[in-house]
Amino acid sequence: MADDKDVLRDVWFGRIPTCFTLYQDEVTEREAEPFYLLLPRVSYLTLVTDKVKKHFLKAMKQEDVEEMWLEYEGIPLKWHYPIGVLFDLHASNTALPWSVTVHFKSFPERDLLHCPTNSVIEAHFMSSIKEADTLKHKGQVINDMQKKDHKQLWMGLQNDKFDQFWAMNRKLMEYPTEEGGFRYIPFRIYQVLHKFHYTRTGKKTTSAHLNPYLAEPYDENIMPAEHSSHKETEQALLISLTVPHLGEK
Amino acid sequence: MSADTALPAASCYLDEETFRLSCGLFLEHSHSLNDGWTWEMFSGSEKEGYMKKTVMVPCRLSSTPCQRRVVDDTDGLAEDEQLSDQDESAGELPGAEGQAVLRYEYHVLYSCSYQIPILYFRASTLEGRSLSLEEVWKNVHPNYQQRLRQGPWDTITQQEHPLLGQPFFMLHPCKTEEFMRPALETAHAKRMGVNYIVTWLSVVGPVVGLDVPLSYALAVGAPVPGTSASASAAASTAASAAASTSASAPD
Repeated sequence: MADDKDVLRDVWFGRIPTCFTLYQDEVTEREAEPFYLLLPRVSYLTLVTDKVKKHFLKAMKQEDVEEMWLEYEGIPLKWHYPIGVLFDLHASNTALPWSVTVHFKSFPERDLLHCPTNSVIEAHFMSSIKEADTLKHKGQVINDMQKKDHKQLWMGLQNDKFDQFWAMNRKLMEYPTEEGGFRYIPFRIYQVLHKFHYTRTGKKTTSAHLNPYLAEPYDENIMPAEHSSHKETEQALLISLTVPHLGEK
Repeated sequence: MSADTALPAASCYLDEETFRLSCGLFLEHSHSLNDGWTWEMFSGSEKEGYMKKTVMVPCRLSSTPCQRRVVDDTDGLAEDEQLSDQDESAGELPGAEGQAVLRYEYHVLYSCSYQIPILYFRASTLEGRSLSLEEVWKNVHPNYQQRLRQGPWDTITQQEHPLLGQPFFMLHPCKTEEFMRPALETAHAKRMGVNYIVTWLSVVGPVVGLDVPLSYALAVGAPVPGTSASASAAASTAASAAASTSASAPD
């Protein structure tokens, strides 16, 4: 794992320049300027957009404000996907900055999960970590950790602290040398055309085992072209297993 | 127990094939009762799918629109939805004379990661307003409120439905092993072939207003191992029966 440190850092510090614009039909008291932000690829939208919310609320009356949600070219953005996945999935071919529209009305109940507080994000993140560890170690590593270790993992992500996060995540990525790998490799395949994702498992850690699973969506051109190199994806996979989604570069 | 028993060792896990076969047997009994469970195929694949049922559940919420508007909508009830038989709990409702109800749609899915079934559901008022997570928490049966207060975030949360990609509520699976192991071990020791889905659902269902009548436990057995031909025939019978009784595509 030590050899990978530079790569881990590059993945962790990946940023997407983003321009937030208020939806044209939102009622404002004065003109709302666009807001620019560098979004961390490995984080979640609702975790890093407090400033965006504050910025637009200044231009609005409180009674015109409901739960904030974000949209890109008519697609409501699922906050529970990592930001890098959302960008690669929906916007990888567009010019930067990524242009995201901000809404405070008409929450799309049928498309998006509600996210009233950060506890919702934490619960989602931890349950993904748990699911991944169930596949890797039958859940033994995550269950052996103490509550404060779980907290450290989460706080590391929330506060963008690479060392704090990896001090814990390292344990989730280890396996006994005699076993030569995880029980299963957890990864998710996200598809644009269908509005769902699903989980599949491949045994052991070689790309030869993974390729049959990866071949199908690639062949259908569902994944963004820039991800069509298996080598690159495998690398991303090994790094971001417990982030825990595939899709980061 | 002697070693020559035909039953495999008790395991609290379920492989996908056994999940489907157990659901098939569950659905057969459901059809004989006509109590509304169906098998929903996913993108035309018989193998991938889930069990579904829609139920009217008594509303325990004190301040939602369901109470004052329910009278107008009672006609809609009779069509093809089943009123759940929760008479005793309905009696506890504050101001129950209006018999306020909510529409709960339950989905039983298989989780490859955890190798167990997971209960997903969504809830709405009769006029179609979706319930919030807080409202769903409040509507949990009083017997389970304490557990919920101890750890709301690992009991019921809103999640993306793995097949439909839409927001659903999910009953967290982390305690499944805890209650399934003793139940299955007892059954195994007595050489009773219990149906995993029946046992599991009768434990987790009532938390969120879903009852499994006793007759399921009496009538529905475990799928017989090693007889995949007849077993898969049973599953496909159930699947085709489900297909003919249910609306075609999941919405």
